[in-house]
Amino acid sequence: MDLLSGFYNAHELLLAEVGINALLTLSMYVTLNCGLLTLANVGFMAIGGYAAVLLSGNTHVPFVVALTAGSVLAAIVAIPVGLPVLRLRGIFLAIATIGFGQVVVAALLNLPITGEGQGLTNANADLSPLPAFISLAVVLFALWRVMGSRLGQAWAAIREDEVAAAANGIDVARYRLLAFVLGALIAGFAGGLDAHLNFFIDPSEFQFTRVTQVLVFAVFGGTSSVLGPLLGAAILTALPEFIRFAQDYRDALDGLVLLLVIVFRPQGLVGRRRVGGGLLRWRRGARGAPA
Amino acid sequence: MRLLLQALLAAGVSPRFIAQQGLDAVYSGSIYALFAVGYTLVFGVLDILNLAHSAVFTVGAVVAWILVVNLALPFWLAAIVAIAVCGVIGYVLDRTAFRPLRRRGAPHIASLISSIGVALILVSLSERAIGAAAHAFPERSVPSGVLHPAGLTVDLFKLGILGVTILLMAVLGYVVRRTAAGRAMRAVAENPRASLLVGINVDRVIALTLVLSSALGGLAGILYAVSQADVSPYIGRDQVELRGLAVIVVGGMGSVTGAVVAGYVLAIAETATLVLVGSNARAGVAFAILFLTLVLLPSGIFGQRRQRST
Amino acid sequence: MSRTRLGVALAALALVSACGTSSTAGSSGAGNTYAGKTLQLGAVVSKTGAGSVYGLQQVDGVQLAQDYINSHGGVLGAQIAVDVVDDGSDKSQGAQQFQTEIQQKNVLGIIGPTLSNTAVAAHPVANNLKTPVIAPSNTGINIVGSCPYACDYIFRDSLGEESAIPANVKQAIGAHHPKAPVLFYVNDDKFSSDGHTIFLKSFQSDGVAIPDANVFGFSKNDPCCESVVTSALAKSPDIVSISSLGAIPAKLIHELRKQGYKGTILGGNGFNTYQVSQQAGSDGLGAQSGSAYYVGIDTQINKDFVAAYQAKFGQKPDQIAAQAYAAVFIFAEAAKKANLELSSSSLAADRTKLRDALKSVSVNTPFGQFSFTATHDVKQTIYVVAMDGSGGFSLVSTVQP
Repeated sequence: MDLLSGFYNAHELLLAEVGINALLTLSMYVTLNCGLLTLANVGFMAIGGYAAVLLSGNTHVPFVVALTAGSVLAAIVAIPVGLPVLRLRGIFLAIATIGFGQVVVAALLNLPITGEGQGLTNANADLSPLPAFISLAVVLFALWRVMGSRLGQAWAAIREDEVAAAANGIDVARYRLLAFVLGALIAGFAGGLDAHLNFFIDPSEFQFTRVTQVLVFAVFGGTSSVLGPLLGAAILTALPEFIRFAQDYRDALDGLVLLLVIVFRPQGLVGRRRVGGGLLRWRRGARGAPA
Repeated sequence: MRLLLQALLAAGVSPRFIAQQGLDAVYSGSIYALFAVGYTLVFGVLDILNLAHSAVFTVGAVVAWILVVNLALPFWLAAIVAIAVCGVIGYVLDRTAFRPLRRRGAPHIASLISSIGVALILVSLSERAIGAAAHAFPERSVPSGVLHPAGLTVDLFKLGILGVTILLMAVLGYVVRRTAAGRAMRAVAENPRASLLVGINVDRVIALTLVLSSALGGLAGILYAVSQADVSPYIGRDQVELRGLAVIVVGGMGSVTGAVVAGYVLAIAETATLVLVGSNARAGVAFAILFLTLVLLPSGIFGQRRQRST
Repeated sequence: MSRTRLGVALAALALVSACGTSSTAGSSGAGNTYAGKTLQLGAVVSKTGAGSVYGLQQVDGVQLAQDYINSHGGVLGAQIAVDVVDDGSDKSQGAQQFQTEIQQKNVLGIIGPTLSNTAVAAHPVANNLKTPVIAPSNTGINIVGSCPYACDYIFRDSLGEESAIPANVKQAIGAHHPKAPVLFYVNDDKFSSDGHTIFLKSFQSDGVAIPDANVFGFSKNDPCCESVVTSALAKSPDIVSISSLGAIPAKLIHELRKQGYKGTILGGNGFNTYQVSQQAGSDGLGAQSGSAYYVGIDTQINKDFVAAYQAKFGQKPDQIAAQAYAAVFIFAEAAKKANLELSSSSLAADRTKLRDALKSVSVNTPFGQFSFTATHDVKQTIYVVAMDGSGGFSLVSTVQP
């Protein structure tokens, strides 16, 4: 017990980071389960984070309120972004959402309200991982229920075969938007939590490297159940901490682990063998021949 | 475009300034174009976004630099060896990261992820090899030359890159349209299964594509590093990785001509933004254009119009 | 302390002085109070990632200092042990390492982290856990003094840009009397953004304000540097300032010279490493910056440091190495005065005592006599240096604190 509490005390921040990464990965899980390869979560995370910091810095609302407001704002932004973008499929959707993330960063760097390159200070920071864990537990439970519900089944149907789903009367566009917005909500929340952990927020947190990181967590863990994102995020976030001996080659090792897992077990740790025909396979008709 | 120029001239901007900015746009456009050609080639033939391409760009520059500085090789020889190394990396990339996934019928996202894995390894090795700092090629080891006609700064090396890009575009165009290998590539791009049925060795075509693409990526990296005096493990990630995406989308995924044209279009757009709006606004231009293209014309300028929508 | 212990301590002191330690930390006369104990410190620096440009030199500097102190009687008889770990140039990793060092390795104090970007997350952790920190290379604003949190345990021995840039600008304006200044800065990192704010203030207070149209901010991912230099030179500047680090300063210098600019070039801390001077090559000649250190400082202590560093690591030390080296000595000197108990139960009390002793410490370092200001900031001579065109630096002038 002493060992455990000693570990906890020395690694609170790591645990908080695991929680936040797990939430981000869950936001990606939601969209992947609907057959959407969207890489916009980090952009929504930024919106949620900055909104939460601005709110709690300039008004006296309690932290939870600022967090929720940031998350809701991210979800609201997701609607006008999602409407045009979700008409795309496959890799084009992915690229469009990457573009969105970059536009968010560019906006953050140029709007005076965000402190531009110098970032914002968050005087109400709290270094405890508890808010992250509680949120994670709530989201895990909620998503588990949702995925088993009719909504989840509709998403699965769209993922498997869009045309068949539409033929069965499912309003594909609306469900896709719903998944996108829900993903944004969760990502925005993760952003607020992350901002709250630090006394400072700046655009460098939300670069493209973070996007690929979350994608890697999701695919590594597998997306056929809510446990996948949790495991993927937990293992890959914590692993480097414990491979001290290979510190200098940490990134190379991460890359190697990634390669091995994907080649030998592409469905991820928790995934089932055939993840679904339509899932994540981009339509062949969407590009031209070379030259 | 003409209206733009007239407006600028009316506002008192000197023609020399415009001409210089035009030249500057050509300089950066050439790098984008050269980088994007390899990027788009792989997408065209394999339907894969190869995120290791920017890492190969980096490795090309790093290897060339090491050869010049540590082994005192003449630059042209170092460049050839470095490009060859990148070609080999392309082959290894296919064998380790893409082919096993093809065999298993894995979804395309898996190849995206495996290319990320390879990219991480390559960049990490580069970091170990030359450290995190940026270096320059030793001053007299690389070709250079600057002329100042009419008060302009004409960098001959950078103009040379323009020449290389145009030459490559012509050569690749010929190869793809007139040679058997090129026809095989186009066949695989259209329909890999049918290609297999007519006897094309799809694996070999794909390997060739990756070798070619990576060699081009390495070449782009070397030319960038020399022209900018910038060799570091991060040049791929910082300079071309993301804007390269914008270029291939705008140009049309899979189209070499499109990649080249779009490279220059993007560079001109960024320069125009700098002049008309300000330097801070440049960061968003590439992605704003990317976004607009995807929403209004997803197949890009030269891509085929076969995009499904709901 | 009991009588017999005092007696032993005095005898030990006599012994130590007789051995003639010319320890740069100076002797404070409390004898071998700490004999048999270990002074455990932590160093959290960038061994990997973009910050490793600086971090690896910090590893070397700390190592050299540790070896020197231990072979010269230690800290009042105690061995000093610095546990060096990697912050990965990453905010989260840096913060976590701070926490691990404090909670698990039970360090008395921490040296680090390397980048200002990491410090904003890592320092509050140490402050929260009441452990003193000496920042060896965080030169941005709000690191010490007026921070977004009550940073009373944070100190720095790295000369802030708020001191270095004004000294540099003042010298340049006095020497060249420029009329048309231009400023380049990278807008997506805190260090460079802070630097640009300081440049603007310095030029303004020296009577040569930089107009908005002459300020060019851009992202480190933007194409660099042809168009932005063309736009800048259209303003016909006679003095150009660059606030950035990494590859960009040298790229800008090359392009400026290529496009025919012959005037003065100023920079911030981003100029102050050999790598940048090497990357800039002959185009860099004369590019000047305010620095905390100059390898040619003509004091015995610096000459010894340079010789030892060169012998052990095969290259000359620069500002980064010197500041990391000094940080260990600063902790050691403070420890001497702090009357620490150094037992497993006194850790929290010892940390606070060490912090208190730091406030009034004064120690001789390779870059001169060092002490902290009232806001835990640096009080030292400023060296205005210029790149010498062959990968090194020459001295332009010195500015007293």
